[in-house]
Amino acid sequence: MATATATAPVAAPAKTKKVAIVLATASYQREAPTTVLRLVEKLLQRGVDVNVWAFEEAVTLTNKDQIDHNEPGSLQKVLGEKHPNIGRFIDQLIRAGLHGAKLDWVSCILCVQERGVEKHQMGGAIVGTLGDLWKFIKAADKVICIPTYR
Amino acid sequence: MARYLIVDSRDLTEYTSGRYIQKVAGKLKESGNDVTLFLIENGVIAARKGGEIGKNLSDLSKRGAKVVADDISCRARGITQLAEGITQGSVDQLADLIVEGSDKVIWY
Repeated sequence: MATATATAPVAAPAKTKKVAIVLATASYQREAPTTVLRLVEKLLQRGVDVNVWAFEEAVTLTNKDQIDHNEPGSLQKVLGEKHPNIGRFIDQLIRAGLHGAKLDWVSCILCVQERGVEKHQMGGAIVGTLGDLWKFIKAADKVICIPTYR
Repeated sequence: MARYLIVDSRDLTEYTSGRYIQKVAGKLKESGNDVTLFLIENGVIAARKGGEIGKNLSDLSKRGAKVVADDISCRARGITQLAEGITQGSVDQLADLIVEGSDKVIWY
């Protein structure tokens, strides 16, 4: 006698709603901050909330006192007039979160104090503790740790 | 079976650990997992057609892993031809993989 095969419903993998990114690299060192910004933009577009935990040199990315220097005259046709600083792009992504998925950008308190940039953090960046990092990791569906390498 | 996304941002020939990340990808695939190796930043250097390490990545793809190279990283390095089995992707694709196409993300 033929028996019906019971097929248990297979649950679809849960969609990621929250991503935590741990970043320790500053600009002018490695490409990692640029890659993180490219990725954060795409994740926000997909409705994913993102927490970036910046520590070590990465806390200088949100230094509000960065200056856009002129590019060399001979290269301005190719590169543009000024060399934009990365803080501006972070600011734009944080502001984008006002009307959609949210980006929290948190700079480690110990790292900002050691580098003297605690009072130079731009509006929108939050100075946080390792306790915040722990909560980010607990709350995230995925944690991406960008390695620091020399 | 789990779906692994391994993002390689380093030049695989620059660090001795580069060979281990390829081994990890291969072993995870052999163990029946779904594996995507996404090359970005200097990671795409290994994807250039004709390079020795590109052959390893082609082999990895023959064994069933997906090997993808980020388009902007390739363009920044003048890489126009990829080794066999490596496809060109974008950060859009990477975001999709993170959001819906993977269970675990390893960033190397």
